[in-house]
Amino acid sequence: MAVQPAPPSRTESVGPASAGGMGTPTAGTPVGQAPGAGSNQNLNQIVLEYLSKKGYSRTEAMLRRESGSIAFDATGQPVTFDDKFKGRRWHEAYSVVKTWVDSILDIYKPELSRILWPLFVHCFIETIADCYPGEGRFFFTECRKPFDDEHSDDLRALSNVQEPEHVQQNDIAQLYRTNKYRLTLSKMGFATLIEFLETKEGEGGKSINFLINNHLDIRTVDRAAIGGVRGLQKLMEEKQGDEQAPAEDEGIHGHHPGSANLNPDATGALHRLQLAPMPMEIDLMDDVKAELNHEDSSNPPRPGRSTLVEQFEQRIKVEPSDDTAPSRDSIPFPPSTARDVAMEVQKVKENRDRFRIEGKTGGVGPGVSVTMITFHNTFDSVNCVEFSNDNILAAVGTAESYIRVWSLDNHALASPQDPPGFQPSSSRRLVGHSGPVYALSFSPSAAVPAPPTNGHTDHQSSSDSHPRYMLSCSADTTIRLWSLDTWTNLVVYRSHNSPVWDVRFCPHGHYFASSSADRTARLWSTPQIAPLRIFAGHDSDVETVAWHPNGAYIFTGAGVGDKTVRMWSIAQGTQARIFTGHAGNVTAIACAPNGHVVASADDKGVIILWDLRTGRLVKRMRGHGPGGIWSLGWSVESTVLVSGGADCSVRVWDVQPSKDTQAKVNGENGAAAKVDGPAVNGGAAASKVGKVKGREQSTADMISDFKTKKSPVYTARFTNMNLVVAGGAYLP
Amino acid sequence: MSVWNPENVTDVAESIGIASLNRDVVEHLARDVEYRMSQVLNEALKFMRHGKRTTLTTQDVSQALRLLDVEPLYGYESTRPLRFGEASIGPGQPLFYVEDEEVDFEKLINAPLPKVPREMSYTAHWLAVEGVQPSIPQNPLTDPRSAELAAKGSSANSTLAAVSGNDNIAVKPLVKHILSKELQLYFERICGAILDESNEEYRSAAFASLRTDTGLHQLIPYFIQFVADKVTHNLKNIFVLTQTMQLLAALLDNQSLFLAPYVPGNVPSILTCLIGKHLGNPALDGATTHFALRDYSASLLSKTACQYGPSSSTLKPRIARSCLKHFLDSHKPFGTHYGAVLGLAMIAGAQGVRTLILPNLKAYDLHLQEGMKDDGGKREQAEYVKQAILRALQTLQEDAVMEMSSNGHPAGEALRERLGAVGEVVGARVFESGREGLIGAVLERDPVV
Repeated sequence: MAVQPAPPSRTESVGPASAGGMGTPTAGTPVGQAPGAGSNQNLNQIVLEYLSKKGYSRTEAMLRRESGSIAFDATGQPVTFDDKFKGRRWHEAYSVVKTWVDSILDIYKPELSRILWPLFVHCFIETIADCYPGEGRFFFTECRKPFDDEHSDDLRALSNVQEPEHVQQNDIAQLYRTNKYRLTLSKMGFATLIEFLETKEGEGGKSINFLINNHLDIRTVDRAAIGGVRGLQKLMEEKQGDEQAPAEDEGIHGHHPGSANLNPDATGALHRLQLAPMPMEIDLMDDVKAELNHEDSSNPPRPGRSTLVEQFEQRIKVEPSDDTAPSRDSIPFPPSTARDVAMEVQKVKENRDRFRIEGKTGGVGPGVSVTMITFHNTFDSVNCVEFSNDNILAAVGTAESYIRVWSLDNHALASPQDPPGFQPSSSRRLVGHSGPVYALSFSPSAAVPAPPTNGHTDHQSSSDSHPRYMLSCSADTTIRLWSLDTWTNLVVYRSHNSPVWDVRFCPHGHYFASSSADRTARLWSTPQIAPLRIFAGHDSDVETVAWHPNGAYIFTGAGVGDKTVRMWSIAQGTQARIFTGHAGNVTAIACAPNGHVVASADDKGVIILWDLRTGRLVKRMRGHGPGGIWSLGWSVESTVLVSGGADCSVRVWDVQPSKDTQAKVNGENGAAAKVDGPAVNGGAAASKVGKVKGREQSTADMISDFKTKKSPVYTARFTNMNLVVAGGAYLP
Repeated sequence: MSVWNPENVTDVAESIGIASLNRDVVEHLARDVEYRMSQVLNEALKFMRHGKRTTLTTQDVSQALRLLDVEPLYGYESTRPLRFGEASIGPGQPLFYVEDEEVDFEKLINAPLPKVPREMSYTAHWLAVEGVQPSIPQNPLTDPRSAELAAKGSSANSTLAAVSGNDNIAVKPLVKHILSKELQLYFERICGAILDESNEEYRSAAFASLRTDTGLHQLIPYFIQFVADKVTHNLKNIFVLTQTMQLLAALLDNQSLFLAPYVPGNVPSILTCLIGKHLGNPALDGATTHFALRDYSASLLSKTACQYGPSSSTLKPRIARSCLKHFLDSHKPFGTHYGAVLGLAMIAGAQGVRTLILPNLKAYDLHLQEGMKDDGGKREQAEYVKQAILRALQTLQEDAVMEMSSNGHPAGEALRERLGAVGEVVGARVFESGREGLIGAVLERDPVV
């Protein structure tokens, strides 16, 4: 109830209270004073005194509250409205601002139009909180149009709020009421706004001013000084491209761009990150080197190829950079085994023999090969598809609560527990969950190397590098660990108290992270049944989780209402970065193997790249249709990104940050986008045109777009050899 | 005002014994119901989204209710879409309810079990190879219209004209194949020379060139096409058929050419020459000339199969299957049977003869006898087939793995009778040949088995 002016103290008359919070001068003459105002006030006074004398304290409080919602002018006289106007007060105020913003100079328009959304939400909430459901609904349907594209989810959540108690209970409404919406305006823009509100004081300016003071946190910047993102030139460009996306520092989180420090007074200092790869254990390194030496001598590389040892040295060579590596002490791992050696050796081998993908050269993107694995007869019951790192196993989590695993090379999946005479097939069913399975994750593994030519001892270690465990998470709030040797359930992890949406193994194994509808992400280690860390901070469901390649950080993405991507430090358990800019639910996150860039995708079809060191947005990439980008994958060199999603396509993206390509759109679509621009602003045809535009427009950094035949792509990722493996279900 | 009808609230209130509710309360409750329902739906949508679906199911709703700590509605778990019945309780007041089917127990118990749904399975294919999407059935057709739309910027006019149909647009092949003048000339000359009946020297020179010349790679598809053309249009002309077969043989002989990708295009032509119904013109060439062509084609086919069989696992089975089909079809003329037997013997070897020809001989014997009895040209043809079968059986003898059974075979009539298992005609011939090995080989596969 922070919105309501504080109830006046009992001894005073129902007096001036609302002006208290206002930072701007509110001098002005009383306007719109109804003739009977004075007597009305007296009556209130009398009734209040009567009630307090009789001890009807609750009735008295209610009367005070309701009489308090009447606005007061500076002289202490209540500004009353006739009954019809009462419910429409916020509507009128909003309309005044909206008309003004629509007709303002072009240089202010982009920044000032951003203020409309929070004002719209608050005007609506206020109307409802004042017990005017009819007017509230009318206002909502009347004015929601311009926000349909960007805030559709929030709108849906708010659309049925009709009573004051709903305001109390609705997540989105509470989010907006209890937090201040941060917005950055240029100094000039903010001054014009305030000036305008003052001139319109009686026609709603005051109400708006009240909202700005109570619920908004407007930062002013000198536009000329900062240039860049908020520079004039940039603003003009954005206007042409009709770019409707929240800025990085906009939103209810009120943080400095990138920084996770939510204290509004803190400087924008950034938490220092340790982005270099995790150093190897000395013993392990020696073992791997010896193994590689042996391998080199038994299979000498072809001329022109580097030896495996050279390759390995090059890989672990510490490059002179300002990155620090996380220490093994802060993140303890179990001691390495022969299996780890085999995996490292195989990784080096694959890295040398991989298909090399350089960046975009001369405007031509690299040719990427994609293997598509399509599942048939699924009846839309498949929730997730996952491939093991060695590309031997494929697993599917279904809505019918079971998991199905296939061996992709048609190998029988045998278990030592099989009864004698049992003929194992190449597919297994894992039964244990009691709700739909939403995500699966294989423990790290490396592809099984080709059998050694000289029949040496290698056999034992090579067969060891297959994935041994799989994690699954489900709507029954549990996470389960499955053994892929016996095909049984080993551990049930219970701690989340809502459905678990995503689970991911650490790139080095041992640890894993999960994210849930209870708004937390949690860190676990496989031998312990209680979580090691609980990462709380998101304002809505944590939809997806991803690891930094060095295993020292995790990334989480949230859905409706929050829409942020956050980076958490494993060692400290704190937020290291917050990235704001998505307009839809974050559906997939992937961090580049070089550890410096993270890509996140939402269900509006936008992929955003973020630079971890600076915490800033690198670029937005558009092209996917709406419905969700369910998977992202990076090439080994971190030069190319692949994405797959609900629009039945696998797309390949160039990740080089280049300012020209970002502003431009593909040749043939550029014209269309420009034509669409005014229409969208026009409002009437907004949603329809927006959809068409969303499908056709794709940014120039899309290298290729491979459509599948009616098969939504559930997962798409690069193997260590730079082949793309995609999985989907055929839905005729 | 609210979408939810306030009357419903009144109805529910009456049903639990609250007779009169204030109008304001009713409306308030109706609005609240509406909000709660949208809350449930919002949660349910979340489950739908994570299920990566676009249809909301009853399970999603029950999951959402569970998440909101409400007891879910039971009895609506349904994998099929629910059917709603409509009843009217007053003017403009439809009432919807879920239609329950009446089930007759007797019928339900006696009904056959429903079909088991098909097993979930996967297939793999190339969605893209080096940045290009191959046009295979697993990939969607690239819609030419969308390509045109994309290119509307530069060639809007021509597209428009094409759409309205008053412009004859030349369809360009996807890949432009550039042949040098010399190669084109060479191709024409070779084709001319091969079909030149009058000049023997000329022909052999052409074949020699094809056998030895390197650098003919680019012409292979053209030659294959040429052969296919000639074969389909000149079935009556033994000479042309023979020449084209020789052309293929020459290409096959050429060490510098790699024919594997073209084999599937090659085989139909050869098969036509092997088991075609009527080859050549009997009136002109004589009734039996085509057997020579069939012989030649068979050897060519076996050569192709031997050379490229390893690289294509389905090549041999496919050829064997079509040969067998024609062999078993008694309506086909003897020429076809002859070719089929030859083909089978050559492709499948002794093993094939044993499993494919031997068991069918008894049935075929009838047909063969009929042919032998005929006085016309048929007898002669049947004779050829008999020879072919015997030759095929001889491969068995060469392949014979069994040792001579110690007790030998019954002699005289008894043996003759047993040999009858492979058909009277052939059996007689085998008997007459009197060769122990052959008899043994034929009998090894005991007809009783």
